[in-house]
Amino acid sequence: MSSVMKTTRDVRGIGLSIPRPDGPEKVTGRVQYVADIKPKGLLHAKLLRSPHAHARIVSIDASKARALPGVRAVLTAADIPELKRKAPTRAHAVLAIDRAVFAGQPVAAVAADEPSIAEEALDLIEVQYEVLKAAVDPLESMKPGAPPVADTGTEADTSEALAHSAVAMAKSDDNPAKAVNVSQTAHVKRGDVAKGFAESDVVIENTYRVPMVHQGYLEPHAVLAEWDSTGQLTLWASTQGSFNTRSEVADVLGIEENRIKVIPVECGGGFGGKIRALCEPITALLARATGRPVRYVMTRREELEAGMPAPQVIIRLKTGVKRDGTLMALEAETVLETGAFSGTVLAVAAVFLGSLYRWPAFDIKGSEVLTHKPSVAAYRAPVAPQTIFAIDSQMEQLARKLGVDSAEFRARHLSHPGEPMVNNQPWASMGAPEVLQKAAEHPIWKARAEWKASGGNGHGLRGTGLSLGGWLGGLQPTGATVRLNPDGTLAVLTGQVDIAGTNIALAQIAATAYGVDIEKVKITTGDTDVAPVTGLSAGSKTIYTVGVAVMQAAQDARKQTLEIAAGELEAAVQDLEIVDGRVVVRGVPDRGVTLASIGKKGNLYMSKIPPVLGSAHPAFTQQAPAFAAQIARIEVDPDTGEVKLHDFVTVQDVGKAINPLAVEGQMQGGAVQSLGMAMTEALTYDDRGRLTNPSLLDYRKLTAADLPNLETIIVEVPSPAGPFGARGVGEPPIIPAPAAIANAIHDATGCRLTELPLTPERIALALLAH
Amino acid sequence: MAKQILSFTVNDEPVDVLVQPYVTLLDALREDLELTGPKEGCGTGDCGACTVHLDGKPVASCLMLAMQARGHAVRTIEGLGAIGALHPLQDAFVRLGVPQCGFCIPGVLMAAAAVLAETKHPTEEDIRYGIAGNLCRCTGYTKMIAAISEAAAAR
Amino acid sequence: MRRFDLATPHNVDDCLKLLAERGTETKLVAGGTDLLPQMKNGLIHPARVIDLSGVPEVHVLAADDGRGVRVGAAVTARQLERDTRIQSAYPSLAESGALVGSIQVRNLATVGGNICNAAPSADMAPPLVALDAEAVIAGPSGRRRVPMAAFFTGVRRTVLAPDELLLEFSIPAPGPHSGGCYLRHTPRRELDIAVVGVASQLTLANGVCAKVRICLAAVATTPVRATAAERALEGQRPTPELIEQAATLAIEAAKPISDQRGSVEFRRHLVRVLTRRTLTTALARASA
Repeated sequence: MSSVMKTTRDVRGIGLSIPRPDGPEKVTGRVQYVADIKPKGLLHAKLLRSPHAHARIVSIDASKARALPGVRAVLTAADIPELKRKAPTRAHAVLAIDRAVFAGQPVAAVAADEPSIAEEALDLIEVQYEVLKAAVDPLESMKPGAPPVADTGTEADTSEALAHSAVAMAKSDDNPAKAVNVSQTAHVKRGDVAKGFAESDVVIENTYRVPMVHQGYLEPHAVLAEWDSTGQLTLWASTQGSFNTRSEVADVLGIEENRIKVIPVECGGGFGGKIRALCEPITALLARATGRPVRYVMTRREELEAGMPAPQVIIRLKTGVKRDGTLMALEAETVLETGAFSGTVLAVAAVFLGSLYRWPAFDIKGSEVLTHKPSVAAYRAPVAPQTIFAIDSQMEQLARKLGVDSAEFRARHLSHPGEPMVNNQPWASMGAPEVLQKAAEHPIWKARAEWKASGGNGHGLRGTGLSLGGWLGGLQPTGATVRLNPDGTLAVLTGQVDIAGTNIALAQIAATAYGVDIEKVKITTGDTDVAPVTGLSAGSKTIYTVGVAVMQAAQDARKQTLEIAAGELEAAVQDLEIVDGRVVVRGVPDRGVTLASIGKKGNLYMSKIPPVLGSAHPAFTQQAPAFAAQIARIEVDPDTGEVKLHDFVTVQDVGKAINPLAVEGQMQGGAVQSLGMAMTEALTYDDRGRLTNPSLLDYRKLTAADLPNLETIIVEVPSPAGPFGARGVGEPPIIPAPAAIANAIHDATGCRLTELPLTPERIALALLAH
Repeated sequence: MAKQILSFTVNDEPVDVLVQPYVTLLDALREDLELTGPKEGCGTGDCGACTVHLDGKPVASCLMLAMQARGHAVRTIEGLGAIGALHPLQDAFVRLGVPQCGFCIPGVLMAAAAVLAETKHPTEEDIRYGIAGNLCRCTGYTKMIAAISEAAAAR
Repeated sequence: MRRFDLATPHNVDDCLKLLAERGTETKLVAGGTDLLPQMKNGLIHPARVIDLSGVPEVHVLAADDGRGVRVGAAVTARQLERDTRIQSAYPSLAESGALVGSIQVRNLATVGGNICNAAPSADMAPPLVALDAEAVIAGPSGRRRVPMAAFFTGVRRTVLAPDELLLEFSIPAPGPHSGGCYLRHTPRRELDIAVVGVASQLTLANGVCAKVRICLAAVATTPVRATAAERALEGQRPTPELIEQAATLAIEAAKPISDQRGSVEFRRHLVRVLTRRTLTTALARASA
């Protein structure tokens, strides 16, 4: 039987490493995910997808498919009058109407008694395509004359950027002969970069390239849809935001939000890929057409071909410094490839390129480019890993050119709280200097010269790399309620999907804020019918925002409790405290009432005592940036280019570790995603826009055999507004590894690689050319 | 295509169940026997989420036809331990805070159980290779290795 | 997967009868680790699948009357990885088995499946070729033996006719002072597929190479012997310099393509590196 850590009298739960309460269900396979739910009469859905990246749909004949026994419905766009002709977002493009704009785009949908029958039905649907020229490479797609991707009039979709991290960024005023596939632009500048470069002693220019990558969640997208006889739709969804899903589905189907209930089922990983609606609308339409529950689970192949990956990012970066190390000028052009629909966080790249270090002059241009590929969505600190890959690699190279310690070089030029970012807003309180200092003190960093010298002589080439990056932190309004039960326990209700194990931290917060032991607190994640409006489980903001809401609701409930007790005990509220399940007069322990009695009275027939119901519904304006540094110690096989990762350290400022066990888990998981982006992962396309690696054999995620133990070091620089000083934890650890590995490879081999992933082939060929 | 009778042992119980000849062992366990512990993460043997034991050996159940299990003994995560009577591996995973989203966990535990059955004192490398066929996107594997080591040492 | 009929024969003769009935619409399944992914991807849709798991003859793993070993077509990669006789006498075969996929895949994947699927990157092919193994094939007119070096005819193509069944591999004992090794390059440590694979097998007599076989995977349409490299070593003392020469000559046998797993340039480079390394290890084992 598992033992859960008890709380102490003084500290109810904050700072304690308490395992998640759903651990036993997870280790026995009892937790239910969408694909595990099997209602009576269940039908299975499959989608027919365009094999072409860009094609006109000439005709679709689904008659043979409809005639196959066991097939209950076949839908094409012709069967769905609600479909808007100009789909403003990917979710609205439920089925292609007359044009396919990426290979993998759904063209028809089938619901059948068995998945095998549904597959056979897809074979029987005859689609005539007229293949059109596709825009595949973003740099080519930017040029005038490239095949146009978007329907004319589709607005650049900035909802993703705003949801994910509240960065205010001026829209670009420049309007050059706008290339048809450039859907967003941004431009920020300060000072005179030409003069800055002219006065520099060392100028380094590189182009950094990071391909599209998949968020890599183990559970593919899955949704179960069922309508009842009154026209109410219930969706069991694997989602990071049930309220967001509800809104999107309502908008796509043209029905009221009150007609939809989204039940957030246990989510097998999201990392940003399950924020936006994807399969829900078509599954709902199949359920409506058949009158039966319909379940759609994407195959892994479909996820890789037609998910919502992270964008390809290309950054040309030029930096100039003086011999004495003074930063002079930074110039950058960033290209974010968004696929067939707009939706990147363009502004974030500019912020991190120009704001992390103090550049007196900068000129940063950004373009979002449409191509005939699946459109993108967020991936854990979207665009930050790619951006930090560029700026941190560059800082490392500048330091080496100048012959100075690269950690000291970063520390010297790091922006401090209060100093302006590129958009002239001041940096909020942040712990970047503390994190960098802690990393620089690590024995692995300090021993890097010895490690390098020990290379060769029967060992590979040895090196060490360090990198620093961070995330601004998302904000979203939210609500929570806290009820006192008749037995003195607390019931906390939020709508927050618990992906990262935040529920236990919320329980710790509620317990501490109210004044009971954590065993007395139950957290319930409600569906969209019963929960207060809640934002996305994304943007590293669950504890930062929902934690505040829960804290405030618990404080509200505590206040109500004390006021009731004050009446009972004829004492002043300020003289009361809650100890061991009782409200007592401070210093007079026998003068008290139990929480249970207060809870009971609030539920009694004819009682004059109201039930204790604490609530809070805050909105937020203050971000709490959070930083992480990573150090990689590697050994490179000079013949094959294989990299053995000996040690990997993540140092991260979390403000206040509400639950260190959970925080470590986030740091380690983010680190491996970061390492995957650095070393092995890429979605690769041929020149016709088709994915060449649609399986996990060739889309390579790191296994346990590829990794060492991942060391974690928690730093706490409290945030002004987070609960108990906490900052967002989820995103920072995915950011630094690409630069850390590139810097380590440079240290070991003398080769500077600027294109991810840093595969053995790239390293081996660079060494051969060296 | 008529269904066929699949007779085998599942979690120590003899079972006779009608299955379509074209379904995988994973699908038969999940849909016909309602043992939804093993998961489909990829369907092609590249992620380990479907790992069960076939006569004590860890296999990718998404790559077996259900009928190929006839006459054999299959163990799923449901047969490793139950709430209130957790296997030492399951208990270590809970206490060390291993599961995050939880989707990979049944497969990892079955692979880990096979490592422990095979090797009395597994090294860290033994454990890492033993679960190298199980992809996890949430945890980074470090706490898993610690939990498996602890369970091995406690025997 | 699309629907299909399943036959579960109990012996080789039943199996041959089933193959004779509907040869080209029929697929054999043993481990399923190549077949099922291909069926799930819609690359093939057989109307009938024949399950070999109930056919005892193809599961044999036994000494061959002191002349070597018989490895049934349905012997798994994991069995080859762990069998002590294979590990000691045919280490390159054990090593190749150990590299397939992951443990969960190796407990299902069969040597026969790996060979009959005939991907250019098949790991267990180079060791079998380098060990001068023969494939024993059953057909309507009886049994025949084909040397492994002649078994592959193209990408995913072998000498097997649709009505034939691969029964087993007959591997001769390498003899005293023999050693072999299989290595491949992959970006990850597990769950991966060879960018280049090399098996080297040599037998020493009085300090010189009496017999040398070097076989390459994933650098041509079929596994291919590096005959120029072999000739450079035969009858010579295998010094490090000569091994390096042979490794460079091995590149001549390679006709790699550039695909997402590796470029021509990288593959040629790896042929030399892995040939050098496998020859060095094979030599150390032969000298032990």
